[in-house]
Amino acid sequence: MSSSAPLLDIQNLQTHFGTIDGVVRAVEGVSFSINAGETVAVVGESGCGKSVTAMSILRLIATPPGKIAGKILFKGTNLLELSEPEMQAIRGNDISMIFQEPMTSLNPVLTVGRQIGETVMLHEGLSAKDAEQRAIEMLTLVGIPAPARRVREYPHQLSGGMRQRVMIAMALACSPQLLVADEPTTALDVTIQAQILELMRDLKTRVGAAIMLITHDLGVVAEMAQRVVVMYAGRKVEEGSVEEIFLNPLHPYTRGLMGSMPKLGSSLHETGRSKLTEIQGQVPSLRKPIIGCAFAGRCPNVTDVCRQMAPAIEEKAPKHLVACHYAPRAAAAA
Amino acid sequence: MFAYTVRRVIATIPVMGIVALFVFSLLYIAPGDPAAIIAGDQATPEDVERIRASLGLDRPFIVRFLEWLFRVLQGDLGVSIFTNLPVSHMIKQRLEPTFSLMLLTLTFALSCAIPMGVVAAWKHGTWIDRFVMLFAVLGFSVPVFVVGYVLAYTFALQLDWFPVQGYTPLSNGIGGWVSNLTLPAVALGSAFIALIARITRATMLEVLNQDYVRTAKAKGVGQRAILFVHALKNAAVPIITIVGIGFAGLIGGAVVTESVFAIPGVGRLVVDAILRRDYPVIQGVVLMFSFTYVIVNLIVDLLYTVFDPRIRY
Ligand SMILES: Nc1ncnc2c1ncn2[C@@H]1O[C@H](COP(=O)(O)OP(=O)(O)O)[C@@H](O)[C@H]1O
Ligand code: SF4
Ligand SMILES: [Mg+2]
Repeated sequence: MSSSAPLLDIQNLQTHFGTIDGVVRAVEGVSFSINAGETVAVVGESGCGKSVTAMSILRLIATPPGKIAGKILFKGTNLLELSEPEMQAIRGNDISMIFQEPMTSLNPVLTVGRQIGETVMLHEGLSAKDAEQRAIEMLTLVGIPAPARRVREYPHQLSGGMRQRVMIAMALACSPQLLVADEPTTALDVTIQAQILELMRDLKTRVGAAIMLITHDLGVVAEMAQRVVVMYAGRKVEEGSVEEIFLNPLHPYTRGLMGSMPKLGSSLHETGRSKLTEIQGQVPSLRKPIIGCAFAGRCPNVTDVCRQMAPAIEEKAPKHLVACHYAPRAAAAA
Repeated sequence: MFAYTVRRVIATIPVMGIVALFVFSLLYIAPGDPAAIIAGDQATPEDVERIRASLGLDRPFIVRFLEWLFRVLQGDLGVSIFTNLPVSHMIKQRLEPTFSLMLLTLTFALSCAIPMGVVAAWKHGTWIDRFVMLFAVLGFSVPVFVVGYVLAYTFALQLDWFPVQGYTPLSNGIGGWVSNLTLPAVALGSAFIALIARITRATMLEVLNQDYVRTAKAKGVGQRAILFVHALKNAAVPIITIVGIGFAGLIGGAVVTESVFAIPGVGRLVVDAILRRDYPVIQGVVLMFSFTYVIVNLIVDLLYTVFDPRIRY
C-alpha cells in the first residue's frame, strides 16, 4: 500500500441484528476513513449506530445475532475476512478501544496491574514481571500517583476518573495505531472530563495513534478532532473537516445538532461543554428499511422527493460530503 | 482478616451448641425405647427399668444434656450400646473411607460441573447448552441409589471395569483406592454436578454480559482465558456458596452410597446404628457430620475474600 492510503478505510459497512421482531439495521452502508495520526469524531444522537460501528471495527459484535457486511480495511487488510485468532492479534495491539463506562469496564476481581499487563503479555510476550513493570510505566504515563502501589490494587479502590485513566493506560500499552474511544468522558463529571481529554490529546501526540472519537459533545469535537462524521439512523449524513462542519454545516440534521452551538473558536472553551441539541420528532425505526431520506420525518425542508428517494452522499464542497437533496453546492466544488 | 477468621470461628460455637442440643434430643423425639430394645423381648418391666437407670435415662433432661456435652467436649462420645466400644473410636475407624469418598466426589464433581456450566453459558441456546441442562435435570431427579445400582450393574457386573463393591485403603496403593471409589463417586457426584453446573451456567450467563468481558475481548484475550479467567473468577462466589450448601446433600448421599457399594464408612456405621437404635453412635455420627458441615461453610466464607477483593471483613 502507498503511504497516502488511509490507516482505516470503512467501505459500505452494514451491521444488522436479527431479533425476534425483525432485523435491526443498526448500521446501514457507512463509509469513512481515518488517516494515520488523525482524530476523527463520530457524532449523532444516541441510537444512531455509533457504538455498533465502533464495535464492528474490532468485531466485538456477537455474530449471531449480529451480521457485519461491507469492508473494513485496516492498513489494506479487510478485518472482516480475518480468522478469530488473527483478529485477536490485532485487538489491543494495533487497534484498541476504550469504553464509555469506566465503572463497569474493568474487571472487578483482577488487579489493575494484571489487566494492563495482560495486554503486553499477550501481544509482546512479556513475562509477568516485565508486564507489571510496563503497567507501572503506563500508570505513570496516564498520571496516576503512586503507580507502584496502584498496580496491586483493584478497580473498586479507584475513582471513576482514575479508572478511565487505567482504561487508557491499558489501551495504549501496546502503542496501537488506532484508538477507538466510545464516549470516553460521557460518564465522568466535567472537571474530570477535561483532564481525561487533555490526557488523550497529550498521549496522542506522544504515541502518534489515530483516534476514532465517538462523542455527544460538540465541545469535545472542536477541541480534539480534525474531521467529523455525522451519523443519523445508521447512516453517514455528513462528513467534513471540523471547520467545515462547524462553520458551514450543510445537512439539516447537522444544523439541528449545531442549533445552540457557539461558533468555532475561542468562545468554545469559554462556554464549556455543549451537548447536541434536541431536534423535534422521532428517530425512524431501524427495524424496517427506510424509503427515501432517513431524516425526512423530522426535516424542516422536507419535500415529496425526499420521501420517495434517498439522497446519495455527494461532495458539496471540497472534502465536504453531504447526503441531502437540497444541500447547497459550493461553487468551488465540481 | 485474621480477626474476622477468629470471629467466624467463635460464631460457630452457638451453632454447634444448638446442633448438640438437637442431637442430644434425638433420644427423646425418636420413636422406640432404647432401654426396652437393649433389654430384649423376654425382659420384664423391672429389667427395662434397671437398664434405663444404668443408662441414666431416668434423670432430668438438662442435667443429662450438660453432662453429655461436657464429655463430648473432652472427645468422649460415649459407648456404643451394641458393641460396648467407645463411639469416638468406632467413628475414627470409619472416617477414611467416608472422607475419601467425599474428597474424590467433590474433586470429580467440580472438575466436571464447572467446565460444563461455563461451556453451556458460552454456547447458550445451542444443543450443547440443552444437553448440559438435560443432564442437570436428570442428575437432580434420579436418586443416588438408582444411579449407583445402574453404574454398578453396567460398569462392574457387565463390563467388569471396576469392583462391584468394597473399599481399599489408601495405604494399600492409590490404584485400588481410586478403582474402588470411582463408581461411588460418580453416583454420589451426579446430583452435585447437576447442582453446580446449573449455578455455574446461570452465573456465567450474567457475567458474560458484563462490560469487562467486552473489554477483555477488545484487548485481544482469547476465548478460553475470557471464560475461565476473566469471567469465572467473577462467578466464583455464587458457585462456592452452592458448593457449601450442597455439601449437606453430599453427606446424605454418602450414607446411601456407602450402603449401595458396601463401603465400610461412617455412613454405613450410622445406618447400622439406626437399625439397632444405638443412640450414642447415632449422636456421635450426626455430631461429626454437623461439625464437618459447619467447618466446610466456614472455609467457604473465608474463600470469598480470595475470589472477590471487594469482600473484606
Ligand atoms: N445486540 C443488538 N441487538 C439488537 N439491536 C441492537 C443491538 N446492539 C445495538 N442495537 C441497536 O442498534 C442501534 C444503534 O445502537 P448504538 O450503536 O449503540 O447507538 P449509539 O449511536 O448510541 O452508540 C440501536 O437502535 C440499538 O438498539
Ligand atoms: S433530503 Fe430532504 S428530508 Fe432529507 S435532509 Fe435533505 S431536505 Fe431534509
Ligand atoms: Mg453508544
